[in-house]
Amino acid sequence: MNIRLDNLTVNFDDRFQLEEVNWQLDDSQHWVVTGANGSGKSALAAVLASAGENLSGNIDGIPAKVGLVSFEAQAELIEAELKKDDADIMDVIAEGTPVHEILNPGDSNQQLIDELVEKFQLQALVNRAFRKLSTGESRKVMLIRALASEPDLLVLDEPFDGLDAHTLEMLQAYLATLVETVPMVMVLNRFDEFPDFITHIAYVDNGRLQHRIDRNDTKAYNELYQLLHLKTTDLAVPAADPETAIPKLDPTQPLVKLNSINITYDGHRIIDSLDWTIERNQHWQLSGPNGSGKTGLLSLITGDHPQCYVNDIFVFGFQRGSGESIWQIKQFIGYVSTALQWEYKVGTGLRNVIISGFYDSIGLYTKATDRQKKIADEWLALLGMSDRADTPFNKLSYGDQRLLLIARAMVKHPPLLILDEPCLGLDDMNRQLVLALIEKICAGSETSVLYVNHHPEDQIKGIENYLALEKREPDNN
Amino acid sequence: MPNNYFNTLPLREQLEQLAKCRFMDISEFPDGVEALKGKKIVVIGCGAQGLAQGMNLRDSGCDVSYTLRAAAIAEKRQSWKSATENGFVVGTYEELIPTADVVLNLTPDKQHTPVVTAVMPLMKQGACLSYSHGFNIVEEGMKIREDLTVIMVAPKCPGSEVRNEYVRGFGVPTLIAVHEDNDPKGEGLALAKAYAVGTGGHKAGVLMSSFIAEVKSDLMGEQTILCGMLQTGSLLCFDKMVEEGIDAGYASKLIQFGWETVTEALKYGGVTNMLDRLSNPAKIKAFDLSEELKLIMRPLYNKHQDDIINGTFSRTMMADWANDDVNLLGWRAETAETAFEKTPAGDVEISEQEYFDNGILMVAMVKAGVELAFETMTAAGIIADSAYYESLHETPLIANTIARKKLYEMNATISDTAEYGCYLYNHACLPLLADFMKDIKTDVIGKGLDLEDTGVDNARLIEVNAALRAHPVEAIGTTLRGHMADMKKIV
Ligand SMILES: NC(=O)c1ccc[n+]([C@@H]2O[C@H](COP(=O)([O-])OP(=O)(O)OC[C@H]3O[C@@H](n4cnc5c(N)ncnc54)[C@H](OP(=O)(O)O)[C@@H]3O)[C@@H](O)[C@H]2O)c1
Repeated sequence: MNIRLDNLTVNFDDRFQLEEVNWQLDDSQHWVVTGANGSGKSALAAVLASAGENLSGNIDGIPAKVGLVSFEAQAELIEAELKKDDADIMDVIAEGTPVHEILNPGDSNQQLIDELVEKFQLQALVNRAFRKLSTGESRKVMLIRALASEPDLLVLDEPFDGLDAHTLEMLQAYLATLVETVPMVMVLNRFDEFPDFITHIAYVDNGRLQHRIDRNDTKAYNELYQLLHLKTTDLAVPAADPETAIPKLDPTQPLVKLNSINITYDGHRIIDSLDWTIERNQHWQLSGPNGSGKTGLLSLITGDHPQCYVNDIFVFGFQRGSGESIWQIKQFIGYVSTALQWEYKVGTGLRNVIISGFYDSIGLYTKATDRQKKIADEWLALLGMSDRADTPFNKLSYGDQRLLLIARAMVKHPPLLILDEPCLGLDDMNRQLVLALIEKICAGSETSVLYVNHHPEDQIKGIENYLALEKREPDNN
Repeated sequence: MPNNYFNTLPLREQLEQLAKCRFMDISEFPDGVEALKGKKIVVIGCGAQGLAQGMNLRDSGCDVSYTLRAAAIAEKRQSWKSATENGFVVGTYEELIPTADVVLNLTPDKQHTPVVTAVMPLMKQGACLSYSHGFNIVEEGMKIREDLTVIMVAPKCPGSEVRNEYVRGFGVPTLIAVHEDNDPKGEGLALAKAYAVGTGGHKAGVLMSSFIAEVKSDLMGEQTILCGMLQTGSLLCFDKMVEEGIDAGYASKLIQFGWETVTEALKYGGVTNMLDRLSNPAKIKAFDLSEELKLIMRPLYNKHQDDIINGTFSRTMMADWANDDVNLLGWRAETAETAFEKTPAGDVEISEQEYFDNGILMVAMVKAGVELAFETMTAAGIIADSAYYESLHETPLIANTIARKKLYEMNATISDTAEYGCYLYNHACLPLLADFMKDIKTDVIGKGLDLEDTGVDNARLIEVNAALRAHPVEAIGTTLRGHMADMKKIV
């Protein structure tokens, strides 16, 4: 068996679409397909059992006999049984199809079925009507039916869902005996459920097959774990620390109000008469090519640009140049940039890196309170890094460092979180990780996110305001 | 002829002023920049210190503008550009000085007498005049109008450092002082403290000192260990290596970057740590060499300190100013012509440890210079804290400048006064070390010890280690570096 999907786009009753999938599976491999709810992972698995309407692209090599167990297949079967009921004549008491008939539609190996019925402890139910079974029982029936059909490919969508511990163990052991004979594709969304024999993992997001990784590639495996965790975790953004709370801002005032801003270098005007207001709870994306003045504009807000004193700038309750200090401004801002990452070269442990965000320092130099430690641990849990609380920061991958610095910037719940090109220099997987974290922050806090990005394609759910700068040519003055 | 202020004081007061130096705790700055709030600060000059200090003060919430000499404004010189591009108001003396509550004089020391003479009549009644170096007051005896308050806030770092550390949320060690003859309203200290906070200095450590202690220690440090010793050492070590057949490119690189590399160790653990970076036999060798160097050079260090204290140094230098800087310019040209300056660093890889291993003599020179400068200053009545900052603390900062562009860069970055003193030292020290250098071979400069026999005598090693650690510059260094680290912790 060698299945190939080339640029395959599949439509499912106009409800959902898989886009441009490229995937290759051969019979020595056992795959897990994973992704968040609604990502399309079940759809992708179902395609291997010929579901959906092929809109474009090719699919080749689907074997004749595919054993499919999925919630959808189960629901369809039950629905069909109920329909039979409706069709029955009124005065005959409808029994429905008995389980043993469902188990063996005709040509299956009866001896194997009996063996499996015993293993699943369904002996007492074989004569019962299929539609009278509980969900868990009918799931078992589906499993037995698929396994006994002696398929060339087994597609199991969340096969462990709702099984009791005993059956789960039995099933896993049984599947392990099949690895030499039947290639398997399983849809699972918990890494700890991945059976040992799984060789490859496919990650689906937003109807696209985003990653195909070899399980032996530990780095990719760990990153995928984290990505899935961030996409699926119920954990919310941890709360702020009431003891080191940032002063309250007047809720009727905007966070930032720039009036007719100019930035000029050597007589060349980079930014010309720009007005920009960031209201509370607005998320913004700022984009523009290199040299369009993005960084300059940001540093007017953060107070790092000397020309903030010759512009009309209102930030966090202060009209700039009225006797405020830049530290009074900076306390309201969380900031992440590549430059910060270069500067943050310390060997501090991860927990302490997060805590250092309470003090805006590089490295931690004060004794943290218990509450701060707890908040930092909640962040690590959110990031899927709980087991690495004491790992030195400089031992982390570049992408993990970025995640951690975002958590550090966010830990004090600043009214404004500035993420200056947070995906710069990251590979695809790490980009998605960072974007997933930003989405969480946009959704789950009162912080306004200002996301600066050169590439319009790195869009973030939850951002609804856009400012695009254009590069001004020198003769524009 | 200027009247040396220090020399007009009775001995009792001279000693008292020299010994004035107290490390201030950060808890002594609860009012922040309050004393400067609502006051108009006008900075004269926008050079290294002027720009950095002005930007820091403005970012701390102060009202800062710049006044420049008319020509600088008319010709739109660099100083004018720096101030305007950074969004500051710039005006002439006539326009701005009369509006100022505090005037920061950050022009070159040599210009202080004409500058202060020009601005003083324009200053508001009861305003404050501030310096970042006390030369004008102490050595030239400049008399300031009685109603004016005179203070000093002197960052112990080049201007670039003053700005960078502030932006990081920290600061640089800073010395403050009030000129007691000019404190009519008794507000000098409050203003100096607020100014130190405004530049971020309070986070790195403030020394409460006197104009006199600042000048006499600052001059001593810069002439001897900081600049003089590094210049003399560079020239001697380079010539020796070339004479012994070592590749000139290698020799040039070993020296240009060697000072920076070996003195970096000072920042972390003083002279002891620098010597600890050597192997045991090399450490003993460096120790012995430095003992010998100290013996030879001590009279020279004493002479520099004596000339500084009694005013001979400033008198000779001012005579050169009056003579169109003939000596200064001549020495500058001469330095540019030395073999070390003219030989570019070779394209060779030298590891961090190799700078130590092959630069034993350089390590010995730094040790001897730091200890001698410290010993001489403290013997002259300068407090250990101050002597530490003016010797050991600043050495790596100056060494960095040599790594950038050799002696040229060092002499361009430091003040004219420091440059003059550096050449003076170099001229006396080169012949003084001629005999000593005759016995020097490549084992201590260029190639490193031949390590066939790495054994050392236990008793001797213990003796050397104990002597290193017992030097008084190490005790005060440990304390002050501890403060720095503590303070860094609250960033
Ligand atoms: N450099 C250091 O590491 C350091 C450290 C601590 C303290 N200090 C002290 O800080 C003060 C300033 O030193 P610096 O190194 O910053 O000097 P600098 O970089 O040479 O700058 C001097 C400024 O003064 C202006 N200036 C020169 N001659 C002038 C005159 N006759 N009248 C008016 N303005 C004049 C110059 O501008 P124009 O020529 O364009 O007019 C320039 O902007 C000195 O007292 C120095 O001892 C320096």
